[in-house]
Amino acid sequence: MTTIETRLFGLLATIWGGVLIYFYASLRVNKYLAENFHLFVLVGGIGICILGVYSMISPKDKTSETHSCHGHDHHDHDAHDHDHSHSHCDHDHSGHETCQHDHDHDHDHGESCDGHHHHDEGHGLATTYLLTLVPLIIAMTFTKDRFSDLGLARQGAYEAPPESRAPFTREDLEKNVPKNAQGEFQLSLVNAYYAGGDKELHDVLDGLPVEIQGRLMPEKVNNQDGMRRRIFRTFISCCAADATVAGVSLLFDTPTPDPPNQTWVKAHGKLTFEEHQGRSYTVVKVSSLEAAEEPYSEFIQRNR
Amino acid sequence: MVPFVSEATQAQLQDGSFQFLAIFLEGIPFIFLGTLVSGFLGTFLPRNAFERFLPKNRTAAVLVSGLLGAIFPVCECAVVPVIRRLVRNGLPASCALAYMLAAPIFNPVTAISTYKAFNDSWFMAGSRLGLGYLIAIIVALVMAKVAHSKYIKASELEHAHDHEHPRTLSAAMNNSLKDLMDVGVYFAIGVTLTALLKTTLIDPTTDFWKSLAENSLAGTPAMMGLAFILSLCSTSDAFIAANIANFREAPKLAFMVFGPMMDAKLIFLYSTVFRWKFIIGLLLALFLLTGAFSLFVEFSLAKIWEPKIP
Repeated sequence: MTTIETRLFGLLATIWGGVLIYFYASLRVNKYLAENFHLFVLVGGIGICILGVYSMISPKDKTSETHSCHGHDHHDHDAHDHDHSHSHCDHDHSGHETCQHDHDHDHDHGESCDGHHHHDEGHGLATTYLLTLVPLIIAMTFTKDRFSDLGLARQGAYEAPPESRAPFTREDLEKNVPKNAQGEFQLSLVNAYYAGGDKELHDVLDGLPVEIQGRLMPEKVNNQDGMRRRIFRTFISCCAADATVAGVSLLFDTPTPDPPNQTWVKAHGKLTFEEHQGRSYTVVKVSSLEAAEEPYSEFIQRNR
Repeated sequence: MVPFVSEATQAQLQDGSFQFLAIFLEGIPFIFLGTLVSGFLGTFLPRNAFERFLPKNRTAAVLVSGLLGAIFPVCECAVVPVIRRLVRNGLPASCALAYMLAAPIFNPVTAISTYKAFNDSWFMAGSRLGLGYLIAIIVALVMAKVAHSKYIKASELEHAHDHEHPRTLSAAMNNSLKDLMDVGVYFAIGVTLTALLKTTLIDPTTDFWKSLAENSLAGTPAMMGLAFILSLCSTSDAFIAANIANFREAPKLAFMVFGPMMDAKLIFLYSTVFRWKFIIGLLLALFLLTGAFSLFVEFSLAKIWEPKIP
């Protein structure tokens, strides 16, 4: 790399690092990554910035990549019998992994060794800028820090819960789930979702007064009369790209109320279950809906 | 809003951008870590240092290299720049290959996450680590018979000489920057491709994908294809595999073994070290080996162990 290339690559690294620090400092990182990755973003951002700034200030160690071409002795463990014909210098190259002996031979790289030949490495300045910055700029322009309704559907928002035992019982609920002032269980949406897949629990939990918090989205399952909305939460392991969305149907007495999609709400009502096209779903018969504060992280992290 | 673009396309653009940034933010710190390590190793590690502690016998050296992930755990993003420098510093290519393929799977972080994701299943954790190691060793031993100039890029081989590099902080930083730029480009291409595919072609909620769950013979290659496109981190992909409902052991195992060795972003990262012809061959070999061994585990060992699948 020439001095100017090193400086410009250093600038590019500083931009990358700056993006990481910006996402961390603005708390936008909460919308993208699980909490245990946040510190990596900060530390990585600072580290990349240090590397970038250092490279801009001290752009070239003139000798860092010079090659001593005089009498290389290549003990590459893998010596083999072949002749490379190097036009000017005598190397002892070994490129095979089976025999183990050293020998001298020439390479033909068509370059002069006394000028310290360098094969073209990397992708060039313009290509590197183009291939890394363009997608980054496009992504930062078009992201809304969340999935679209189409994206939520692809991540499973309308999928029925797996048919398996729910990870709790009625007794667990009574013991562990707090109640609000109205005596409703402040049930997590995740538990409500999984209860739908455990038919043994349906009778036990049917009619349970609950308060459930999540984000609103349109309902597409069993909603011919337009009396339903859906409430969802997102699970992740590391980042939004591995997200799974769990959704529960909200059934209203009247055509669905005003809060726009993606609004955080608390739904109050009775838990119930229904069959649709052979699959069991959780439904909350809503008595009231209120706006809720957005949690620090909208993600629920899968158990580690 | 983008004019003249349909609502669905705008939604895909939003989702693709969201997923691109998520993977970028998650991956770049680890790419940086890998390139920092690689830059300093390349500068300060004496050439052929590995010869001192790896067994002289090539087969034994490959077997040991495949286990190094247990001591030096790295994810699949960080391992590529590291082995790139190690090859330049004289680590035999076959040993580097064994470490590169095995380390993202055969390490304590992946072992624990797999164990926990599958409801404390030693069977799934053991099968995953065992298969990862076995396949990495098979590939590396086969490649040990091949001249490394046939599969390592010429530019990498040229650097694998007995050069007199200055051992200074400045040289290390310079090498780190070069590696970061080289690998960063391929990472960006891979992440872009992943985000594009995830928002267009691949939709696991469709009936097609659901029908695959009923048949492991069809589900296993499908899940490897999914792992290739999703490009998840090996330290946490077990939680995804465990939660992809209804698939049996073979497809889930194949997902967790194939993905860390070969995915849409890795294929571009590998191209910083290996020739494209070799990468395509490696993809096919890993696909066949992982599929065959995963099905073997399901149809034979799983019946004996009766693993718990969540």
